[in-house]
Amino acid sequence: MKKSNRKSIQNVLYENPGPRMRARIRAATILSLFLLLLLLFFIVRQFLITGQLDARYWSFFLRPTTWRFLGMGLLGTVEAAALGGIVALVSGFFLMLARISRFGTLRFLSMIVTEFTRGIPTLLFIYFFFLVIPQFGIKMPPLWKIALPVAISASGIVAEVLRSGVNAVPKGQREAALSLGMLEHVVFIKIIFPQAIRFVIPALIAELVIVVKDTSFAYVVSFPDLMQNAKVLISNYDALLSVYLVVAVIYIVINYLLNRLSLFAASKMKIEA
Amino acid sequence: MPDEIRDEIPVIELENVEKYFGDLHVLDNINLRVKKGEVVVIIGPSGSGKSTLCRTVNRLETIDSGKIRIAGEEMPAEGKELARIRSEVGMVFQSFNLFAHKTILENVIMAPMSVKKTPKAQAVKEAMELLKRVGVESQASKVPAQLSGGQQQRVAIARALAMHPRAMLFDEPTSALDPEMINEVLDVIREVAEEGMTMLIVTHEMNFARQVADRIIFMDQGRILEESTPEAFFEAPKTERAREFLSKYSVSTSRLPRGAYESVEKHASGVLGMRISATPEA
Repeated sequence: MKKSNRKSIQNVLYENPGPRMRARIRAATILSLFLLLLLLFFIVRQFLITGQLDARYWSFFLRPTTWRFLGMGLLGTVEAAALGGIVALVSGFFLMLARISRFGTLRFLSMIVTEFTRGIPTLLFIYFFFLVIPQFGIKMPPLWKIALPVAISASGIVAEVLRSGVNAVPKGQREAALSLGMLEHVVFIKIIFPQAIRFVIPALIAELVIVVKDTSFAYVVSFPDLMQNAKVLISNYDALLSVYLVVAVIYIVINYLLNRLSLFAASKMKIEA
Repeated sequence: MPDEIRDEIPVIELENVEKYFGDLHVLDNINLRVKKGEVVVIIGPSGSGKSTLCRTVNRLETIDSGKIRIAGEEMPAEGKELARIRSEVGMVFQSFNLFAHKTILENVIMAPMSVKKTPKAQAVKEAMELLKRVGVESQASKVPAQLSGGQQQRVAIARALAMHPRAMLFDEPTSALDPEMINEVLDVIREVAEEGMTMLIVTHEMNFARQVADRIIFMDQGRILEESTPEAFFEAPKTERAREFLSKYSVSTSRLPRGAYESVEKHASGVLGMRISATPEA
């Protein structure tokens, strides 16, 4: 199914290749494979020259304690991302509700908040929670100090994504529900929102990927996430490159799984048009 | 109150209804009464305000002045009362508007369960009967996108009927359908009409209008220009505008390319039941 999907997209973008174009595609494939191998060769060679492949940079990965430590970091990342993601979805939902409200003041306020959260870098929110909030005498566990600012930073975009979904629901759906005697809020809950969310699942998951990546700022508030624990490993073993490589792979795997999840969810709830 | 008196109260009543879209006078002093069991068909050129008129009856379009009453009750402006009266008037749209994320059965049982609090078992039983009546019971567990346009529109009719409405509004119910699906939908509407449902129908299907209507309303530029029996209207329209409108139908038929002639003639045969000389120009 995946294959046919990809093909259909190709069919949309380009007409079917003729014999000359097929030959050109084949040549390009061979050339790019060759270039990739060349690049890989230079990378490995550079590693060898600089001694990055020495046993001392990699041997500690054979110890279970290393993996347990990274695993704890991974758990921290998952915790922070899950909490941040949930808070972002919930607050984004309410921001969206305010943005489509009948009351102009609410719409205006929501617009301000949305633009504010979208326009400010995540790191600035994190510094705010790390440096400013404690000055008001508010104590917060490190998990919240990373999860909340990340969530706030994402909430505006979540709100806009949800709103675009609501706008994408054909107005006939609403009219049909109203004509059957449903009240406005029932129409929204039962008809509009369930369809809206289906339209925007891929965009929402993309935003969750950003949440996962933003939690890597956790070292600022000394919350032990994957990145923070990686830093500890690096200073312990003086092994910068190997640790970062492994951590990068772990992040890729998490986000790849999230993307698979989004595809799965989208296919489960798909509305065929 | 006694039945005879209740029967005299029109199910749908519009009194001096006015509506503007900016400078455009879309509804110009509309007065209309639809009695119980009566089938009123509105025809007219595009932009004449006939769809708008249909949509004002359950307040999907607001009006600027005048009164709209359903069974003697004035249409409230908002809230639960408005929703209650809307639930008593079924509506069928040009674009079907089935709930895309629900199955066919769920589409039909949704409003009875959520608005009328009908128990699920009963709602399902009634829904299946209705789906059977409109001939799509075998599709009950599919989603709307899996059905043809004609099937979807028949489900939409079943969905509206499931609320046991006092009256039904049809806003160009066959305009979005392929020619071969038009008749299956018209047949269902005709059956519902024969069972005594009060109806207000906006359509371009002249043949159907003539068969099913107790009364024809001809609209142009927001006004009701003619109001008469189908025979009187189609055979001897009173206004020049109506004559012109009806003649355009025959003109458009005769201008079709040769190949299309056969199928169109079959479909449009006797459309307007009048001077159609649907011969292709040589």
